[in-house]
Amino acid sequence: MSDPSSPEPPGTPSKYVDFWLYATAAGSYIPLAIYNKWLLDWIVGPFWLVAWVWGLPAVVKLVRRQPIKPRRGPDRDPR
Amino acid sequence: MSWAAHQFEVYAVEAHLPKKMKGQISWFAIFFGDFTPDFLAKFWVYGFNYNGTHYGASKPYQWHRGWPGMGISHTLFFGAMCCLGIWAWKHNRAWTIGFLLGFAAHVLTDVNDSIGTMLLFPFSTLNWSLHTWAYAATIKGGKYLDAAAYFSSLGAVMDLFWFFVVVIGSWRVLTKEFWRTNIVAADPHVWSWLGQWLDDRGLLALYRGVFFYGVCRMIAWTTWAHLVARPIINGVRHNGYPWDLSWTGPWWVQRVTLPQVTPWVVLPMALILLGVVYFVANALWERMESGSIKEIAWRNVRRKTT
Repeated sequence: MSDPSSPEPPGTPSKYVDFWLYATAAGSYIPLAIYNKWLLDWIVGPFWLVAWVWGLPAVVKLVRRQPIKPRRGPDRDPR
Repeated sequence: MSWAAHQFEVYAVEAHLPKKMKGQISWFAIFFGDFTPDFLAKFWVYGFNYNGTHYGASKPYQWHRGWPGMGISHTLFFGAMCCLGIWAWKHNRAWTIGFLLGFAAHVLTDVNDSIGTMLLFPFSTLNWSLHTWAYAATIKGGKYLDAAAYFSSLGAVMDLFWFFVVVIGSWRVLTKEFWRTNIVAADPHVWSWLGQWLDDRGLLALYRGVFFYGVCRMIAWTTWAHLVARPIINGVRHNGYPWDLSWTGPWWVQRVTLPQVTPWVVLPMALILLGVVYFVANALWERMESGSIKEIAWRNVRRKTT
């Protein structure tokens, strides 16, 4: 996980991106779930959020040919 | 039964931990504690249909909350037994106490519906219920009628209450800072393991996922029940299920009961038991620390000798 001593300042672009991701996750899940009740499940619900909030940026990274797997500070491969 | 309230109360419990436990109780343990009663009992409550035959409990309310039945899964006694098992297995106080608090929150919240829970099991098999809203799980109506009844009654108010407890009274519990300093700190191995695949954004979404699910199911079921559904009640077609915010509502659900104590003693008893659970958790917390240290020491000895 990232270094706790360097929190992001409020109002940074990633905050707006995060807000947009969470809002669109809810905006897509709720209407679909109203007509497809099987989506209202304790596994599907949280999974939807993770898939949306983590998955969409991951897809963008894939398109840009950037690595998706998180790189952790001290354990990082030195090569 | 309660719906989104069970998701919100996980965060409410996390936010209101005793000071000495902050940043040390496993959030996953609170979640699994809160989740276990319904995980054990609810599938058979609704049952399922296969080849035109219904498989499930013949009396859902008896199975869910009564004795004989799986009502034991909604008792503090069963929660205590689970905690004993967790402690015997792992000697981990962060998980043992977290599970206890989550489990107790579920059992005590469920005294609100008209069936309630067996609070004093095994000393008594009487159910304790405040009758705030009607228990509505039936074979014919299944999950849909249950949801419609809940989100047309004071149950919906209960969900909103817990929602506001979290977003107004304890909003910090949802922040990245809180997650990093309290949630990850209490469960570093689990989060580190998950961190092999997910970055911080994904891990934080996983933590917030239960809250997200609670908010979404509350909105989705309420919208469906009142704007989409076209139920026929007593031979009359309605545009949406009627609201009924009276005590033990809604009126259009068939009443079912189990042998119960008088409702007047339920709230005081629930509050006393809540206090007892917090007192026991507090008292055990310090004593469990030495147990945890001994277990870790023994584990290290065993590793060295093998």
